[in-house]
Amino acid sequence: MINIESKIIDSCWNVSLSGELDVSNCNELKVYLNELLEKEMLNITLDIKNLEYIDSTGLGVIISILKVLKSNEKEISIMNARDNIKKILNITGLDKIFNLEG
Amino acid sequence: MNCENINMEITSNPELVSIIRLTVSGIANKMGFSMEDIDDLKVCISEACTNAIKHSNDTKFRVDFNIFKNKLEIKVKDEGIGYDHNSLQKPDFNELKESGMGIFIIKSLMDEVSIESEDKKGTTINMTKYLGVDS
Repeated sequence: MINIESKIIDSCWNVSLSGELDVSNCNELKVYLNELLEKEMLNITLDIKNLEYIDSTGLGVIISILKVLKSNEKEISIMNARDNIKKILNITGLDKIFNLEG
Repeated sequence: MNCENINMEITSNPELVSIIRLTVSGIANKMGFSMEDIDDLKVCISEACTNAIKHSNDTKFRVDFNIFKNKLEIKVKDEGIGYDHNSLQKPDFNELKESGMGIFIIKSLMDEVSIESEDKKGTTINMTKYLGVDS
């Protein structure tokens, strides 16, 4: 189960994720984020304070969105990652690719 | 060495991966693994099951747990199309590929990992985590 909420704050899509992001729902997030960027091409901040779980399928979605953003000279930031998620970002080296905050 | 077994056969439905995570979490918790180890086990079993679901083309796969006093062995086995796992490379994140991270994550988080895969005969991922060992 994943719950996604978004709003624009300071010309940036602020997207909050809660629940678990895995193979069953990662495509739902991909479609959602692509639709946001079609509406308005802005930087994205992913607030994952309430995201309990992520694996490579979820990371794949974030990478694909990062590519879309980069080709439009935009960025993605990840806020409030829990320790278990920080660990996955760290071992995959993605902590150096995404802007991590908090 | 004596061990307890839990064997599951699962249809290749992505919706079921969260149930497998709950299962491994329950087993590992009962064995006395730390919260961090349980988180690692959840990610690794999900990655292995996701591989079976996405890449095997089989309609079902098996997950076998062998529970020892000092370790948990997990086997995720499909009878699908198989692949040449030697062709897998450490992901190069300068290239930023959306896939290919799963096996790398498993090898990073588990104490022992072996993969058997043969063209058209399926894939088995064996992984072991020891109790009370910092990996």
